[in-house]
Amino acid sequence: MHAFILAGGFATRLWPLTEKRAKPLLPLAGKPIISHLVEQIPKEIPITVSTNAALREGFEQWHATLQRPNVSIVIEDAAHDDHKLGALGAVATWVTQQNFAEDLLLLTGDNYCGFSMDSFLKETSPDTALLAAYDIGNLEAAKAFGTVIVGKDGRTIEAFEEKPREPKTTLVSTGCSYLPASAIPILCAYAANHPDNVGGIFEELLSKGKPVAAYIFEEPWFDIGSFDAYLEATKALVGEKALLHATAQMEETEVHGTVVAGENVTIRKSVLENVVLFDGCTVEDCVLTDCILDVHCSLKGIDLTGKMLRSGTILTQN
Amino acid sequence: MRYRTLVLLWLLSDITLFMAVFCLAYFLRVGWIFSSDFPFGNFLTAVVTVAPVWLLVLATTRTFSLTRSQATMRNAAYITYSALVGVALFTLVYYFRYEQFFSRMLLIMAFVFSAAGIWLWHIAYSVLLRRILRRDPAAFPTLVIGVTRESARLIRKLNESSHPLKPVAILDGKGSKESEVEGVPVRGKLNKLEEIMESERITHLIQCSDLEQSLNLLSACRQRGCTYLLLPSVLGIVERDERIDTLEGQPVTIVSPKEHWWTWFFR
Repeated sequence: MHAFILAGGFATRLWPLTEKRAKPLLPLAGKPIISHLVEQIPKEIPITVSTNAALREGFEQWHATLQRPNVSIVIEDAAHDDHKLGALGAVATWVTQQNFAEDLLLLTGDNYCGFSMDSFLKETSPDTALLAAYDIGNLEAAKAFGTVIVGKDGRTIEAFEEKPREPKTTLVSTGCSYLPASAIPILCAYAANHPDNVGGIFEELLSKGKPVAAYIFEEPWFDIGSFDAYLEATKALVGEKALLHATAQMEETEVHGTVVAGENVTIRKSVLENVVLFDGCTVEDCVLTDCILDVHCSLKGIDLTGKMLRSGTILTQN
Repeated sequence: MRYRTLVLLWLLSDITLFMAVFCLAYFLRVGWIFSSDFPFGNFLTAVVTVAPVWLLVLATTRTFSLTRSQATMRNAAYITYSALVGVALFTLVYYFRYEQFFSRMLLIMAFVFSAAGIWLWHIAYSVLLRRILRRDPAAFPTLVIGVTRESARLIRKLNESSHPLKPVAILDGKGSKESEVEGVPVRGKLNKLEEIMESERITHLIQCSDLEQSLNLLSACRQRGCTYLLLPSVLGIVERDERIDTLEGQPVTIVSPKEHWWTWFFR
């Protein structure tokens, strides 16, 4: 088996945090989102991370920090959103180039899955595709995902609908799936016409009479695609406390909810509620609520609510 | 560099024109002779002394600013006000220097000629200036943020009037199906901000939507030394009677209720 992590998206909804950084490299509770994922995958399974030329540097730096030797990076030749191969297209290209014919653990790099990967892998069986499914709890939210209808056994998938207008269920497909070797040719053929539709492969398998099963879990799961989702994921993982890097300094500051401070962050005389401060930020005499500050921001005497600030932003109230 | 040279030429031409219209007033009033009762040399010395001060007064009205439209009543009022100051200064300088009075009609003529002459010259020069500044590569390539009807209107106006701020690209926070607006290409979402600012050598950014990204757009402009402009409609201000003022020294945007025209002086 081989794990393949999709990490080539340009994440425009998380601009400006993703201006110079891929979404999977955003820090989540002290480490990159993709690191949470990699740590979950059993050590004997080799991992390939697929990204694009514009995000290459960040992934190479991240790769250099890994303690795990069997992780490789493949660079899709796309410097812009409009040039990219598409997520499924990237998988198909890699499969073709490598003559790959094994089982595939397909993961999306911007998802945080709280369940144990071991227990997911124990549920796999030859010739049956498996996808991790989560009950999102409301039909409106389900519209943004692939929805899954399972049979009476609570496992066999009877229908899969990618981003339905009127969902029939709140059970949604997450960014973790297993494709047996027998499904790989179908994936390649499908990707040729639908290079961006990862979820569509399950519809395709079902339409060809191939079995697809669901691994339904209740542990936390976050699809970190927006400011709100990123902040929610941080709050859920860190809890109501301040998570400070060893080099971060905080003086005379009131903390409410979740506060995360990266390397060399300095916070003085401020009130913070649900705030994430990336490396090198300085905050003095500020009231910040629901804010995310990219690296090297410097704020003094400012009140902000619900803001993402791009790297190097300097706001000083005279 | 192109803009600085043009502004310098503008200032020099203005000061020359100011002195020329005063001389014209002199000869029209005195006749085409060098009078011994009212020596031209004394007159010219006073005009030359006053001209730089008058230019300074004119400059404080920001008539030379890039965003000022010359052919407006507002601009005419500023130029008239400066002309009045110029004539008053000339009167004072002449009297203090030579302790003599002279023709009052000459002062009226000098005032009328300088106000009208400078205004007309400014209108003519701005046409020339705009054409030169718009030539490729444009002196002030401008990035527009937001594909909205408001931004389309603005781009149309800038292009129709050959404004020095030449829109060269549009970005939209949420993406747009439009590939161009009024001939200006829509280049994608805000993730391309840095790339577009670099490749197009953007000097001005006009925010027409995406209020939530104001801080980040401002930050990008600060880092790159660009000028940031914001349409009031982004803040929901669409009455067109907004103004920037100060409240105890703190800058504020004021939108007052519409009342009689004379209340403008007291709002």
